Amino acid sequence: MRVFNFNMPCCILLVVVFVGLVPAGADAEVKRTFEADVRPIFKSHCFHCHGEESKTEGNLDVRLARFLVSGGDSGPAIVSGKSGTSFLIERLESGEMPPGEKTLSATELRVIKEWIDQGARTARPEPANADQLEFTEEERTFWSLQPVVAPPVPKVKAAERVRTPVDAFVLERLERKGLSFSPDADKRTLIRRAYFDLLGLPPSPEDVDEFLADEGPDAWSRLLDQLLASEHYGERWARHWLDVAGYADSDGYSEKDRVRESAYKYRDYVIRSFNADKPFDQFLVEQLAGDELVRRPYHDLSEADKDRLTATGFLRNGPDGTSDRSVNQDIARNEVIADTINIVSSSLLGLSVGCARCHNHRFDPITHVDYHRMRAIFEPAFDWKNWRSPEERRLSLWSDAQRQLSEEISAELKQASNERQAQIKRHLTEALEIGIAKLPADVQAKADIIRDAVLNRTRKNRTPEQIAILKKYFALDVYIGTLSQLYPDRYQKELKEYNKRVAKIKARRPKEDFVRTLSEIPGKVPVTYLFRRGSHTQPAEEVLPGGLSVFTRGDQPVVPANNPKLETTGRRLAYAKHLTNGAHPLTGRVLVNRIWMHHFGRGIVATPSDFGSQGDRPTHPELLDWLADYFVANGWRLKKFHKLLMMSTVYRQESVRTEALDEVDPDNQLLGRTNLRRLDAETIRDSVLTVSGNLNATHYGPPMQVTANGVGQVVIGTPKNDREGRVIELKGNAAFRRSIYVQARRTLKLDMLKAFDSPTMTPNCEQRNSSTVAGQSLLFMNNVELLSQSEIFAARVVQDVGDDPSAQLRRAWRLAIASEPTAEQMEHNLAFLSIQKKLAAQKARELTPEEAKKISFAKHPEKQALAIFCQFLLSNNAFLYVD
Amino acid sequence: MQHDLHTSLARREFLTSQVMGLGGLAATWLLAQDGYAADPVKPMLERPTFDLTPKLPHVEPSARAMISIFTSGGPSQIDLFDPKPEVDKRNDTEYTGELKLGSNMAARNSRKLLGSKWKFRRYGESGIEMSELLPHIGSVADDITLIRSMQTFNSAHPTAMRAINSGRPRSGRPSLGSWITYALGTENQNLPSFVVLTAEDGLPLDRELNWSNGFIPSIYQGTVIRSREPRILDLNAPLHLRGPAQREWLTFLNQFNREHLKQHPGENDLEARIASYELAARMQVAAKEALDISSESVATKKLYGLDQEETREFGSRCLIARRLVERGVRFVQLHNAYQQWDHHAGIHKRLPEMCRKTDQPSAALVKDLKSRGLLDTTLVHWGGEMGRLPIIEMQKPIGRDHNPYGFSMWLAGGGVKGGHIHGETDELGFKAIHDHVTHFDYHATLLHLFGLDHREVLFERSTRQERLTDGQPAKIVNGILKNPVA
Repeated sequence: MRVFNFNMPCCILLVVVFVGLVPAGADAEVKRTFEADVRPIFKSHCFHCHGEESKTEGNLDVRLARFLVSGGDSGPAIVSGKSGTSFLIERLESGEMPPGEKTLSATELRVIKEWIDQGARTARPEPANADQLEFTEEERTFWSLQPVVAPPVPKVKAAERVRTPVDAFVLERLERKGLSFSPDADKRTLIRRAYFDLLGLPPSPEDVDEFLADEGPDAWSRLLDQLLASEHYGERWARHWLDVAGYADSDGYSEKDRVRESAYKYRDYVIRSFNADKPFDQFLVEQLAGDELVRRPYHDLSEADKDRLTATGFLRNGPDGTSDRSVNQDIARNEVIADTINIVSSSLLGLSVGCARCHNHRFDPITHVDYHRMRAIFEPAFDWKNWRSPEERRLSLWSDAQRQLSEEISAELKQASNERQAQIKRHLTEALEIGIAKLPADVQAKADIIRDAVLNRTRKNRTPEQIAILKKYFALDVYIGTLSQLYPDRYQKELKEYNKRVAKIKARRPKEDFVRTLSEIPGKVPVTYLFRRGSHTQPAEEVLPGGLSVFTRGDQPVVPANNPKLETTGRRLAYAKHLTNGAHPLTGRVLVNRIWMHHFGRGIVATPSDFGSQGDRPTHPELLDWLADYFVANGWRLKKFHKLLMMSTVYRQESVRTEALDEVDPDNQLLGRTNLRRLDAETIRDSVLTVSGNLNATHYGPPMQVTANGVGQVVIGTPKNDREGRVIELKGNAAFRRSIYVQARRTLKLDMLKAFDSPTMTPNCEQRNSSTVAGQSLLFMNNVELLSQSEIFAARVVQDVGDDPSAQLRRAWRLAIASEPTAEQMEHNLAFLSIQKKLAAQKARELTPEEAKKISFAKHPEKQALAIFCQFLLSNNAFLYVD
Repeated sequence: MQHDLHTSLARREFLTSQVMGLGGLAATWLLAQDGYAADPVKPMLERPTFDLTPKLPHVEPSARAMISIFTSGGPSQIDLFDPKPEVDKRNDTEYTGELKLGSNMAARNSRKLLGSKWKFRRYGESGIEMSELLPHIGSVADDITLIRSMQTFNSAHPTAMRAINSGRPRSGRPSLGSWITYALGTENQNLPSFVVLTAEDGLPLDRELNWSNGFIPSIYQGTVIRSREPRILDLNAPLHLRGPAQREWLTFLNQFNREHLKQHPGENDLEARIASYELAARMQVAAKEALDISSESVATKKLYGLDQEETREFGSRCLIARRLVERGVRFVQLHNAYQQWDHHAGIHKRLPEMCRKTDQPSAALVKDLKSRGLLDTTLVHWGGEMGRLPIIEMQKPIGRDHNPYGFSMWLAGGGVKGGHIHGETDELGFKAIHDHVTHFDYHATLLHLFGLDHREVLFERSTRQERLTDGQPAKIVNGILKNPVA
């Protein structure tokens, strides 16, 4: 038996560390109630054993205040008004409860005591039994679970700074603190900001010139339109979505990390959707249930239908170990489902639904049953007891005609092969008969036995008699090898003809193209069970599909178990429609918050995947709701939404910190300026390639493979699979595509991207880190690839402007950092260039001939100096940061 | 940079002070919005920044640094550390006890017991019994704690390796070195805080995942120092930049970045970037010096076996490990190439080979650290992810299959007892029967030696808090501590 130490996501052990942030002085005045103050503490520490499980420990149920008064086996747990004599407090203070290593914090204990001393009040009469009180009023009224209601746009004093309603919301908050917006940034800053934001690429000098020269009042607006129309826009914004969708080109889960050959089609679908400005509700519905929008059988698909099926790749993004036979299949299959639920809930709901896999969520109103309701939505497609491996889930994109052609070709190949076999047999017979004719008469009598042995039987299947004869007359045992020796010319000629014929037939076979999809098998609907402790080995009662019960109060189920109008259950389609109906409190808020985050560096809710009680609260709740409403009311169009945000004064501000702002709002929560941001991993690599003039702008298609070389560096290339672990590195144009086209192996990340915090997909990436480490600096200083790009950059500059050093420097500045050197800077730069030139010349003289061969510019100190200057331009903070 | 976020405690203080500093802005709003006052409030005011400056542990630590000789593949404890006379006696007879076979080669296992081919001897004053294959490790027996009851429960290498090296069998989690440097920073800002010394003949199974930072920031990932030059990638300037050219370049870059900073006053990240170039430049010198073993005495080189072909490569890496911790590096891990301790077949030939390569240098490390007064504060670890079964797997050439239920590893220095044996396996050496030590117990103990409470070393992700021990019922292995927890 394989023992797999399987981890249940065990949120039970999370501790509340943030209780107690409220100033102590405020506490004394607070009137404690069970629902608001005490129940959350019990819920996270005690409910599991004292109420929720079928066996109640010590017969003490702590889910209602009056149960505490009536008590359990050990008598009353509390005495109202007297914490000192309450048994509960004794047990808690002694550390006996909760059992194990967890103890209540001093603050939690104090809160409970205060509540008892104040008379153990409840906020309202308690229900007849605890099960009725699944959620308290406090939980139901939690901010993110309330319907989105667009608030009125507030009035502000500095009305002249208001360009869009967004500005009014932000400015109103600033003005309350006596602050206002920073001035607009200059046009150079703005165009660079817009290019990186929308395309993830730097503007060319010509782009900058054009924008600077455009003095029209709508220059900015037209620039944004132009960028939104670029195909690079989709590549940039698809990347953000792919992070949270957990996209990868490999299976992950186990060490095999099998490559997903056709995963890139989903990636391309996402890029195309962004470029086409597909309404986001449609985009989501396709990803959750595209298969249920397409009529079966999936033959002769239109491009739109292909897209719908490809879109379901979203639900196949998570790690999937089920093609690795060496892992426990039942665990691996259930993990695929769990990871998918995690991806869906963190990307769309902004809630950690996964925490309710084993028991009720400890902090948010998500029940253990809710988790399994959600599981029931996806289970028919995954069906872990009738699992389909990744291979089996592939959908061929052959048209009926192609499929028929392929079958015909297979038949032709079979025919050709048969004819060839017959031909060989004729020749063998011919050769054999010549031999038989020469045999002694007594042996000739057994000619049929010999013919049978040589022509019809394999060596293993021969009778002892046949073996004996052929051992003696071994020359008779002709086979294909004999033919090639006996009749070399004829043999070679015929073989050539045959191979030619086969090749010709094969060339007509269309290439089979696959796409990764998720779909149900019509009529096959597994029952979803509640898994005790989240374990598939402990199924309990049956669960029907549904949304979070905190939203549904006995209304119609949002996800019917079966839609009779469809061949499949229609559960995912119903769920997708529910999420995108415009009234769901979370979908819109979570989406606009993510878009905001990518434009401003931080979300209005700083925890983009946790809108629950453990997540952050919105800094601008009214704005968040206004935006969510706007987004939905305007047809879920992303491009329009970008424009709304980018046209605002908030977006156009300078990034400079001021004392006035820092004093009140050092973290820029109120957005009185723009946040300075480091370029992300892909943007750094893509920018280097753009600046050096190397970027291969081919869109879409299979990824550039990555591989680890013998020393563990991950490069673009393919392994040679030899013992030294050598690799064939991909060189030149083919390796210079945008980073979104770099293969995203879960276990292998391209060094250049990894160094700058490219996402780790476990199973998805909710938010990236931005690190600053010496390894990054060493990369800029000494990395072979970076230096090679600097040389190419330098060569480009010479090609663009010729040999004049001042012109070269100016051109290089404009290319790399979209700015012009001042006279003083120019002087410094020229001095630097001339020092480097002198040093290069000096070094060239000291080089041995061997060494000189290794340095491409050894004989051209001026080129060398320029390359070193260009390297500086790719390594400095004006290049690495956008403000 | 000033925000020290590595413990909940520090974080709590930080948040408290920030809430106050903001004039209660967030709190006020929250109170009004949520309608209840004692709500667990968690205003994330700024994406936290991360650095490697030294951090104070929770309590007085006994270990300051760690060197882990990670013997992946599954060294045969029954032939090296855990003598089983009963198996020797019943050699080649049918094994009738409990057995779990986990590898994908399970089907080839026989049920025949396989006694050890090698004799065991008592070493040192403590008289710890170890194999004749390890005379040098035997010579430091009085300095080590030998744990004979390790358990990782995972019979496949990658899952077991991840369990013992990152807390859980699944990939994507930060490794041990990442957690420790995350919690404690490092004492030498001119060198990487977490160094991985890979073998000349290749990387271990799972490659760089073994030193991955997982979901914590990449500054905590292991830096590979290779077995041959260039030992650190991108460390040395290429020929055309070497010397004054790069110095001029760095000066010029620094001037430019400082000008740029003037236009962006108070931007920590820009300052950190400037500092990181300075560190990189210092590292070029410091790392070069740290990795230059030519200055070591003849006696030292001999101690590590640099004078012998067989031990030179591994010995050099052990010596470098000592030089690194001597210079304040927090965590060093040595890896062997792909599964070299995985002796399904040919154990009688391959096990002695591996021992000859590693025995003397491993022991030299303990001796050398001790003679320099570094052993008290440096924890040395020698062990893999599993051990091997008492039965024959392959007859020809003979070998043993995986056993994650009762294997051995040893620790030295850093606050663990010397000359001590902890735990025991059953008489046939299949599984631990006393004082079991799971991978998470080991991790809790490790952090304890560093003065850290494994429950308190946590990383905030947006949806959950993460810990090395990840909620597993980890206990500190008191029995091996010089100063047991009261």
